[in-house]
Amino acid sequence: MPARPDEDGDHMLRVIDSIWQKTQQCWLDDMAGHFDRTHWTPLLAESRGYLRALGECLELLSNAERDTEF
Amino acid sequence: MTDVADIHADIDALKEFRDALTRFRYAQREVVERGDQEIEVTRASLEGKAGYWRSLLARREADFAACQQAAAAAAAAGRPADCTAEASAVREAQERLDHIRRWQQRVEEEAGAFRGTANRFRDLLDLDLPRTENHLLAIITGLEAARGLQATGS
Repeated sequence: MPARPDEDGDHMLRVIDSIWQKTQQCWLDDMAGHFDRTHWTPLLAESRGYLRALGECLELLSNAERDTEF
Repeated sequence: MTDVADIHADIDALKEFRDALTRFRYAQREVVERGDQEIEVTRASLEGKAGYWRSLLARREADFAACQQAAAAAAAAGRPADCTAEASAVREAQERLDHIRRWQQRVEEEAGAFRGTANRFRDLLDLDLPRTENHLLAIITGLEAARGLQATGS
């Protein structure tokens, strides 16, 4: 059974986050910190916000289906 | 502006990260599409259920009306008649239809509120992330050029 899209998205976010953690270990200059603040952190926050909202929405959809099965 | 000479990074690691960002962008785009699809599937399913109960309600109302007519004729002939079961069936269909309509309303409200967040995320994937990838590419290209020059010069 395929996972819910929010769960897949969350998994991908963890994967890319771990790649970024590794990249940071070999990117040791001011630009890395700047990239982290201006690109990576907003991307992470926006992705988490979307996936959380998607999860809540899917929960409601599933409740709607279940509660209207007579 | 930082000079490429001041950048201390492993080019391969940056390339790998940039490739991973591109894969992430495509994969999350698919997540967004699937999320939108789930909303559409539920909308269609609720509409299907509402349609079913609407037609059942109409049929039961017709049965109830027919029963009431028969009951009136029976009463005139002095025979007892009872339409309780038909009335109850109408009530049940009406309640279920109302219940489904309330869920439809709730799903529309939730989908509307979710749309704003989904649109922002879609913009991030379609506009911001490609810019980030290009930014990384510029760093990588600059580094390769600088290191190529260093290698030639040494």
